[in-house]
Amino acid sequence: MPHAKGVSAVTGTRGRRIGHDERVAYLLMAPVLIVLAIVAVFPIAHAFYTSLFDVVLTRPRTAPFVGISNYLALFDDPRFWVAVRRTTVYTIVSVIGTATLALVFALLLNEVFPGRRVLSIVLLLPWATPSIVNGLMWKWIYDPSFGSLNALLVQLGLIDQYQVWLADPDKTLYLVAQAAIWKQTPLAAILLLVTLKSIPDDLYRAARVDGANLLQRFLHVTLPGLRPGFMLVFVYETMISIRHFDLFAIMTQGGPGDATSTISWLTYTETFSSLRFGTGAALAFLLSMATFTLSYLMIRSFGRSR
Amino acid sequence: MNRPASDDRPVSRRDVLKASASAALATSVGPAWMSPADAQGRPPINFMTWSAAVDQVKSHISAFEAQSKLKVNYENAPGAQFRQTLVTKFVSGSPLDVMWVSDAWLPEFAEAKWLAPVDRYTELTRYNADLEKYCVDSMVYKGNQYGNVYYTDFMAFLYNEDMLKRAGIAAPPTTWEEVVEQSIRLKERKICEFPMLLSLQADVTWFIEFVSAMAFSFGGRFVDDAGKSVMQDPKGGVAAALRWIHEAIHTHKIVSPAATNTQEIAGLKAFGAGQHAFGIIPRYRIRPLNSPSESQVAGKVRIALMPKGGPNGQHATCGWVRFYGLSASAQRDAAKAADCVKLIEWFGGKALDAYRFQKMLILDLGLPYCTRPLDDDPDIARFYDTFAGGSTVVKRQASMARKKDVVATWFGEWNDANTQAWQKAILNQSTVAAALAESGRTWDRLRAAG
Repeated sequence: MPHAKGVSAVTGTRGRRIGHDERVAYLLMAPVLIVLAIVAVFPIAHAFYTSLFDVVLTRPRTAPFVGISNYLALFDDPRFWVAVRRTTVYTIVSVIGTATLALVFALLLNEVFPGRRVLSIVLLLPWATPSIVNGLMWKWIYDPSFGSLNALLVQLGLIDQYQVWLADPDKTLYLVAQAAIWKQTPLAAILLLVTLKSIPDDLYRAARVDGANLLQRFLHVTLPGLRPGFMLVFVYETMISIRHFDLFAIMTQGGPGDATSTISWLTYTETFSSLRFGTGAALAFLLSMATFTLSYLMIRSFGRSR
Repeated sequence: MNRPASDDRPVSRRDVLKASASAALATSVGPAWMSPADAQGRPPINFMTWSAAVDQVKSHISAFEAQSKLKVNYENAPGAQFRQTLVTKFVSGSPLDVMWVSDAWLPEFAEAKWLAPVDRYTELTRYNADLEKYCVDSMVYKGNQYGNVYYTDFMAFLYNEDMLKRAGIAAPPTTWEEVVEQSIRLKERKICEFPMLLSLQADVTWFIEFVSAMAFSFGGRFVDDAGKSVMQDPKGGVAAALRWIHEAIHTHKIVSPAATNTQEIAGLKAFGAGQHAFGIIPRYRIRPLNSPSESQVAGKVRIALMPKGGPNGQHATCGWVRFYGLSASAQRDAAKAADCVKLIEWFGGKALDAYRFQKMLILDLGLPYCTRPLDDDPDIARFYDTFAGGSTVVKRQASMARKKDVVATWFGEWNDANTQAWQKAILNQSTVAAALAESGRTWDRLRAAG
């Protein structure tokens, strides 16, 4: 909390008294901190605590303390490493796909042309669509028997017979990522558009005076100016993608085989299908830590490069 | 349950429904203190089911409340998460007295002491004499019986009679080789692209039952009598069944490559839309498939014995039982237990001296029963004539149904792991031998861990 003028506190490094303004500041922040502690810190701490016990719901009378055995068992389980690979690929594809498309839309919406407002509203529709509806919609689109994608491709003459989409293990993960990109792009585009609007026109005018062409202006003015927006998009989309669950539950159920078995899906099956709350909590804790670490590294990296 | 002595007229289903309506009306318009439960001062029975046969259950509860003057708190939850719902209720101590239970969950629920044996209640066990033996066996764990039957069924081999006729095929296949031959003929005549329906998406229960049905028809077993895994035997029926599925998709192309992404209900709709000529489908689905309001192939779907495969093949299939269980917490209270036993008898035994609920289930929904006396019921005979072209094949197949041999306390955990492994083999990401070796190892590890 920076000190404003007229702060009544005696400043010092050690043993200083907290001034009136600081007390008010802490008091004002207290509700948020309490809520955060209840809804964020406590569940993570409790997940870690649970992960130290062999809790299996179908063995209700015994839950021995096992220390880090649940973690060691996970690291020894090939399913875990498959899930790590799937999560990594899914996150990279989703985040890069979302950011790229969002940039295109943000640049488009930053221009003045007839129908821009209507287009802005249309572009927001995917974001307003509930996740469940989004998953069901894409599942139907990709259906091998009656899906509209097959019908469209056949009518365009691009394929001569209906294709299997979600049941093809080589395609499934990317198709789920595509459904996520479709939903997430509008929000990312808005974040980038707001950042675009904040880039001073003087910079573009100066670049033009210096003889910079369109590409050079984009590379040397727009992209650096978009850095704060990109930081938000990358951090937010990574946090969302790495923990994505709903699309997998609706579209693929982790399959076919283990083609879409991500960490989130594995956490779900361990916890709610096998009812092994100990290993489920260990997976959830690892996922939380991975999310936290990645976000921290990204924020630091963007901050430093600025 | 005794009928009033003054009433010698047989009580019809309509009477029961009338009583239900009266009871419902009285409950809705009367003041709270007039409710039957309050009148007796007895706590209500907490009865939980998955979301199926809801209207039938509600009407039968109303009739029970009117007859017994007891109150029932009825709740249902989605079938896909029902096991987890029950477990969390048991663990958290939520009120739960009587519930539907799958035979696959019996060992883990009994070992956890969530379910109570019902052997001591002769009001319930006296119905065993009327049941098929495998139905009683499916409710027994370590020598104790844990309930009364809700319904039983098996995986049936259904075929579209009209499609076969159009292909010039006189009789349905009796072996898996014939399934391939007839399917290729159907494909060649462009009657359907993928004649054989298999719904193999990782699913809560159906996946293992589809594969078990095929494995049993190839003479296979997953475990031996001692409970040790034998599924990985390369010459065994389980391997033969998985190889057949693999070849049907990749070599003969008679099963859609989307099979591993097809849920049972989606497969059913496709069959009802006339996209397939053959399918492994739960028997009770023959009713909607032959109902004009629900299917485009109504009247054309018939049941054949499960085709047999390989040298040891039989027309065997996988059967299952769902039953009414009594919670251990309810049994600890003698008065509550007595009330629960009355409810279980009303549903799983006789109501007013007749198997009313069982009859209602098959006539309204096609849900089969275990109760042999109903075989002679003329209404049910008419039902089978209408929806299955007679009951001869149904009864023959029922006599060859076998319960899953993998039902154990670790069934759920093993099932999760091997579903993925088998799907990978079916999709060419692994081999049948590797998938079954993994399944066998997982089974033996879980068995050793107890």
